[in-house]
Amino acid sequence: MRINFKLLLGSALLTLSHGALAQMNIFACEPEYAALAKELAPDARIYSATTAMQDPHQVQARPSLIAKMRQTDLVICAGAELEVGWLPMLQMKAANVQVRSTDKGLFFAAEQVKTLDQMSNVDRSMGDVHSLGNPHVHFSPPRMLTIAQALTDKLIQLDEEQSAKYQQQLSRFSARWQLAMTQWQVKARGLQGMKVIAYHSSFRYLFDFANIEQVADLEPKPGLPPTSSHLASLLKRADNGDIAAIIIASYQDQRGANWLAEKSNLPVIVLPLSVGGNEQSKDLFSLYDSTLDLLTQAYRTQK
Amino acid sequence: MKNFQFLPARLSAHLPIKFSAAIVISSFFPLLSQAQTPTLSNLTVSAVLDGYYQSDDRLMTERAKGFGLGETELAFSASIDDMFFGKLTTVFESHNGETEVIVEEAFVQTMALPNGFTVRAGRFLSDIGYLNNQHLHTDSFTSRPSAYRAFLGGHYFDDGLRFSYIAPTDLYWTMGVEAFSGDSLRAADEHGERAFDSTGVYTAFTKMGGDISIESSWQLGVSYLRNENGQLTAEEHEEAEHEEAGHEEAGHEDEHDHGHGASYTGKNTFITDFVYKWAPDGNYKYQHLTLSAEYFRVSDFMVPELHEEFAGAADHDEEANSKDYHEAWYVSGVYQFSPNWSAGLRYGKLDSQLQHEGHFDQQTLKETELSIAWHNSHFSTVRVEFSHQSNVGFEIESNDNVVTLQYTMIMGAHSAHQF
Repeated sequence: MRINFKLLLGSALLTLSHGALAQMNIFACEPEYAALAKELAPDARIYSATTAMQDPHQVQARPSLIAKMRQTDLVICAGAELEVGWLPMLQMKAANVQVRSTDKGLFFAAEQVKTLDQMSNVDRSMGDVHSLGNPHVHFSPPRMLTIAQALTDKLIQLDEEQSAKYQQQLSRFSARWQLAMTQWQVKARGLQGMKVIAYHSSFRYLFDFANIEQVADLEPKPGLPPTSSHLASLLKRADNGDIAAIIIASYQDQRGANWLAEKSNLPVIVLPLSVGGNEQSKDLFSLYDSTLDLLTQAYRTQK
Repeated sequence: MKNFQFLPARLSAHLPIKFSAAIVISSFFPLLSQAQTPTLSNLTVSAVLDGYYQSDDRLMTERAKGFGLGETELAFSASIDDMFFGKLTTVFESHNGETEVIVEEAFVQTMALPNGFTVRAGRFLSDIGYLNNQHLHTDSFTSRPSAYRAFLGGHYFDDGLRFSYIAPTDLYWTMGVEAFSGDSLRAADEHGERAFDSTGVYTAFTKMGGDISIESSWQLGVSYLRNENGQLTAEEHEEAEHEEAGHEEAGHEDEHDHGHGASYTGKNTFITDFVYKWAPDGNYKYQHLTLSAEYFRVSDFMVPELHEEFAGAADHDEEANSKDYHEAWYVSGVYQFSPNWSAGLRYGKLDSQLQHEGHFDQQTLKETELSIAWHNSHFSTVRVEFSHQSNVGFEIESNDNVVTLQYTMIMGAHSAHQF
């Protein structure tokens, strides 16, 4: 048994020496950062640990993710404690020194921008809140541009030889993004003053961008599932008649929202949490287009 | 914070340590209220509260009849510098009016070795089997399966050294070797006359795993444990009486080791484990299923001379139908059907051989457990468990049906869970 084991170890070491690849290996915690990496480093091998149908707070540190992280050069995550339940375990088990600290191949998007809802005094009785602020920054178009610039710096730090290429990708992306952003701002202006009930603070930055007011949350406290007494209080709030829609993300359970919708005659809109969250959302651009279109539709119906 | 590095790697549960643990604990409690981002680079402090009521005693379990505290733990972990990571876990347990403080983990681990190598030294949980490297508070049942209770003393942690390696392949493949002092896995030695090897336990393990689809994942493990001190020796015929008197204390003169030693030991232990997890769309928030199974085989539990002696005796004794190995297995399924509720069912069987006045008697323990848990949040669980057991050959009186009520709650840092 022990002899076999040594043989195995030896052969594994041999394959290791053949494994040097020039192509950069990128591990994204969420699909929006896989999509951003694809814009900025189209030649890289990119893997997304989660899909838009999965809750990024609750991910299993499963074997396939450890194996991917073992081989990766760069890990891109939202940060601000979003992945605190699984990322440290992956780092520990993957034994990849390259992606252990942000000095090297670890990149947190939320560290590059100012997050909303930072709290100086966080207590567990408040639910699953983070002192570092809301981590779902990917729905803020201006913040994503800042993140893209910082990510390009990181790519250049790790792969200096291709520095010119990364710069070129960034300027191309920035131009397209700024153009799209003017269109999103026009759509957002039409949504100003819209009031919604939403599930969790998943779309905090989108609502901030479009001046939409989330008047209530389906969750009684962040991270806790809707309860019947809480839903009853939401129904009372909905009776005021100023709410346009109930909004949930693609991974969220629809039962609470459907119950409330039935009682209050409000529409339920399922917004894609990320790229891949609905058929239209194929990249970051179409993700924003689709999300804003869905909201516009609902707001027009209310009017 | 810096004095962490100066704590001795080999800690025992005697008085001076209790004292120093108390100092460490009291000086760190203020930190709990302002626990920072538990990334690998900050000090992570977490406390787990585990309390229970059990309607009766169960064979070989650490939980006793009545009210008690289970694994109530206080853990600190942090990067020491860019090369080392350290963790200290102290466990408080109380049963039958006695309170124990145990240092369960006190290890340092390399963080910057190249090519997927990791070295861990100090006291830590062995990486054999599926459950062994997991903390008890993450379990879906109130007690470990009988295989763990009989052969590893619940869960096996010890002072030692580990080398591990993870292959750079898309199929998860890790392997490692460990060496331990092996004190808690020593064979019975009532008179303290035996010369035990000071490094008694060596292990080798490998685990593989991957995804079948976006919805399901698996892991398979094979482990081997060699215990130089695990065999029963010839001069210990009195041992049988001792074992009958109290299995959970099997031959450990150290009072502090109550319930943590293995009840059955042998020279060679093989373990195979398999885990399968499923969640709709791979989204673990609302529903998910975990199926797991492990098989243990402990062989060569007596020295060859003793074996011959018993073989001779067997010729004259027609009822000597015992096997020359112990074995145990379990299968378990746990389903979380909403964020607030989960239920688990487990069946396990233990076949062991008990030394008894010149021959070995076969023992069998079958256990079925049903556990239902309510989770108010990610951090609090209240559980009720019904267990049914039937045994042959265990001479301790034991109720066939036991009900256990338990809570486990986590304060401080959000600890990342293993697969």
